[in-house]
Amino acid sequence: MNAARDGSEDALGQIVNELSPLLWQVARAAGLSSGDAEDVLQTVWLRLLSHLDSIRSPAALTAWLVVTTKREAWRVRAAGRRQLPTDLDWLAALPDPAPGSEDRVVIDDQRRALWTAIGRLDRRCQELLRIIAFVPRPDYAAVAARLGMRPGSVGPTRGRCLAKLRAVLASGPEGSPA
Amino acid sequence: MKPSDAGGPLDETDLQILADIHDLFDAADPMPPDLPDRIRFSLALRDLEIEVARLAAEEDQQVLAVRGAEQSRTITFDSDSLTIMIRIDLNPDGTARVDGWLAPPHSRRVEMKTTAGTLTVAADEQGRFAFASVPRGTAQLVVRPADQVPDGSGRSVVTPALIL
Repeated sequence: MNAARDGSEDALGQIVNELSPLLWQVARAAGLSSGDAEDVLQTVWLRLLSHLDSIRSPAALTAWLVVTTKREAWRVRAAGRRQLPTDLDWLAALPDPAPGSEDRVVIDDQRRALWTAIGRLDRRCQELLRIIAFVPRPDYAAVAARLGMRPGSVGPTRGRCLAKLRAVLASGPEGSPA
Repeated sequence: MKPSDAGGPLDETDLQILADIHDLFDAADPMPPDLPDRIRFSLALRDLEIEVARLAAEEDQQVLAVRGAEQSRTITFDSDSLTIMIRIDLNPDGTARVDGWLAPPHSRRVEMKTTAGTLTVAADEQGRFAFASVPRGTAQLVVRPADQVPDGSGRSVVTPALIL
């Protein structure tokens, strides 16, 4: 990060490669179209250039990028350029299990169960888990705190959304929607 | 699976679930693979004192010319101090022509950064500028301040990378 601040394009480029997939999920989870999400990511990274001086740690950098992406996404949505997709549109996107070995079928069943369980959470939890799943583990606590999850005294806590997801997964497929 | 409370610390099961969620969304809604390239392109200007112009509107117009259908695009960018509107037309030789307007009108130096280098033109007093022939591909506009102002108000206005 210090190298990025001092003007090393390679260092900044590496951070772009590492964190853009996270910011993509943040923008898409906020309901942006692909095109709007691309615009928002570009804006966020350009804005970072003016803020590098004030960011002190890699965790703070990740948190700043996530929060700024959310704000830019709200801004685009508020401008009314695009409509928010209906809830769970993305659920249809789970690819069909590919034909393959027994192991493959078991894995696909697990993926499907997880996908269905996520779909039964409220929208806020879906968004939060989707974002947190892409955050580098050392930055987890800083990002979770900025997203309104209370950090524990020792370290990152499970949080309401992950606890709910585990409860849904434990309850098995019988409770899943048609 | 043991019942898990929200206040408990993250355990291995949580981390595995998060890793699985990562893989699911990475497969279902992946970032366009070329996006980081475009972002790195737009960050290549090593100018920390910039004002970011956001994409405000984009319109495609099918222009029916005598020779057939030609595409003309109009894109508007807004920053805190400036609105930049550009119209992109294709030249017969395969390059792009870019006509632009700055509002409020300023005579400024306007740069078009492309993968093949940087083109520079001057906007006139009405804020109009034109690049007659720009290689197609990734490009970025930079509007330079009229003069280097000592109080710091003379920041360059930059757009995100766009595809011509």
